[in-house]
Amino acid sequence: MSKPILIVGGGPSGLAAAHSAASVGQKVVLIEKMDRLGGAPILSGYSKLVPSGEWAKDAIGSMVDRVENNKLITVHKDTKVTEFSGKPGNFKAKLSSGKSVNAGATILCTGFTHFDSINKPEWGFGTYPDVVTTTQVEQMISSGKGVRRPSNGEKPKRVAILLCVGSRDRQIGREWCSKICCSVSAKMGMEIREELPDCHVYIYYMDIRTYGLYEDIYWKSQEEFKVKYIKARIAEVTSDGDKVIVKGEDTLVKRPITIPFDMVVHAIGMDPNVDNMLISDIFGVDLHNWGYIAKENTYGIMGATSREGVFVAGAAIGPETIDDSIAQGTAAAMSALASLSPAIAAE
Amino acid sequence: MAIHEKSLIRPENLSTHDNLVIDGVDVSGDWSTFIHSRVVSDYNEALEEEISALPGGEFIHRCWQCGSCTNSCTVNAENPDFNPRYWIYLIRMGMESELLRDKDIIWQCVSCNKCTSACPRDVVPEAVMKATGHWLELKGHTAPSNSTIFDDVFTDQVIKHGKIEDGEVMIDFMKKSKQPLFQDWFVQMFKQMIKGFPVLSLMKMGWSTVFHPKTKGWAKARDAINEHIEEEHAIQRKALGLDTAE
Repeated sequence: MSKPILIVGGGPSGLAAAHSAASVGQKVVLIEKMDRLGGAPILSGYSKLVPSGEWAKDAIGSMVDRVENNKLITVHKDTKVTEFSGKPGNFKAKLSSGKSVNAGATILCTGFTHFDSINKPEWGFGTYPDVVTTTQVEQMISSGKGVRRPSNGEKPKRVAILLCVGSRDRQIGREWCSKICCSVSAKMGMEIREELPDCHVYIYYMDIRTYGLYEDIYWKSQEEFKVKYIKARIAEVTSDGDKVIVKGEDTLVKRPITIPFDMVVHAIGMDPNVDNMLISDIFGVDLHNWGYIAKENTYGIMGATSREGVFVAGAAIGPETIDDSIAQGTAAAMSALASLSPAIAAE
Repeated sequence: MAIHEKSLIRPENLSTHDNLVIDGVDVSGDWSTFIHSRVVSDYNEALEEEISALPGGEFIHRCWQCGSCTNSCTVNAENPDFNPRYWIYLIRMGMESELLRDKDIIWQCVSCNKCTSACPRDVVPEAVMKATGHWLELKGHTAPSNSTIFDDVFTDQVIKHGKIEDGEVMIDFMKKSKQPLFQDWFVQMFKQMIKGFPVLSLMKMGWSTVFHPKTKGWAKARDAINEHIEEEHAIQRKALGLDTAE
């Protein structure tokens, strides 16, 4: 059997890639910079996932278990790749632990970084304690503590969710749609209404992009959970010392709005991984002009990067759902296996 | 109109001073024009629930503001201010004071149901308009319309006797809608009937007017209907925050 496949990153796509390769008898070395596997859903403490509705710790947890229990997969946690050299079929990676790994191919599953709402100061995050991010609300729910106002621990009566925070915004150089925030927010609206039936939830949107079958989440949030949607890009978030005050224009009725809320939630987007410049340098792969790892092509070899033998999958390529990250991880494993198989390559 | 926002400025939100000097500068008249913001501060967040508690309003929360109802509306073609999409939005967002600005045109809905066929989410806008009209009446914002009065008179008789009697319906309706019974058209219709109807029919009608016809064994049905109506009305009035006893 050939040298192992090196997989960098233990999130959904990395776990899927490792499992797929190992399931056909291929040795895998999985590198994870944090102290546990699972990626963003586990590290950021997500609650229920979209669209399955399964708890992240169950859904992703089972993916982690099957990787950690697989004898063909060697997992290095708390570890980064510091140097990478060689050619397809014979790469050499130096690890931060001092060890080195020989690999036949590499798959980068290095994921994304949550947008830091501090970069949109007009929306009050970091200034007012009751302005939080979707990630924080996910944690409130998954921890079992429930959705509470950070300022006083009380149950909110009115919650506003602002969409496209750190997405579709040329002012801060983020021109992409983060794809999943609409669906996550609709789901979160339902979770809040389920826990706190007296709490009104308003979602402020520019467009609703619950694409494909996710439309079901959008409909359900309105029809069963009475989550309200207002077409407005919020101008600023201020406070009267107690309530958080949201200002904007309700574009459907052409009128200014100034509404007090108990909590404002930023539906934060998916930035390129903050380490992508470093990753690009170490692995010698090109970046997309927005800073994600660039795909070499769309219709050729799945997950190919600018460097032969180095593949990429998941949110490292751009904002991605968990489902599609898993599919891409599996596809990239297939591409990596094919690259290691001279017989197939020769045909 | 070149600047459509101009139409959004309400006269009561414009203020000017006829004589105003600030720091020695004369800003009288138009120079001191100030447009007050249209910000709504008195939201009624229960409004959507109130409307949806009334028959026909059940599906208002499905609306996603596509505008199909207003685009297909028969009345809107005649009166651009008749805008079901807009009212549904005001109701959903609790902008009661804005809704009340249009209280005198909401009843104009002709129930053609073109909106109901066009609506992609089965909001049944025509029924929502009915519920809204009903809400306006129950809350006392508008007087009961003639059609509501007629419906009530007609229904009351059916419930009471299991049958209606035309003469009594007309007399009752005219009385309750505060119209004189002996209007020209009514007198004319009556005269024509006497001329054209066979004597036996006229005698039957006369007999009916004196002895109101009743459905046999109706009492049980009447009690059941009344009980049901009372229950429904109590639910509706409670949802609207009104006294449950009518």
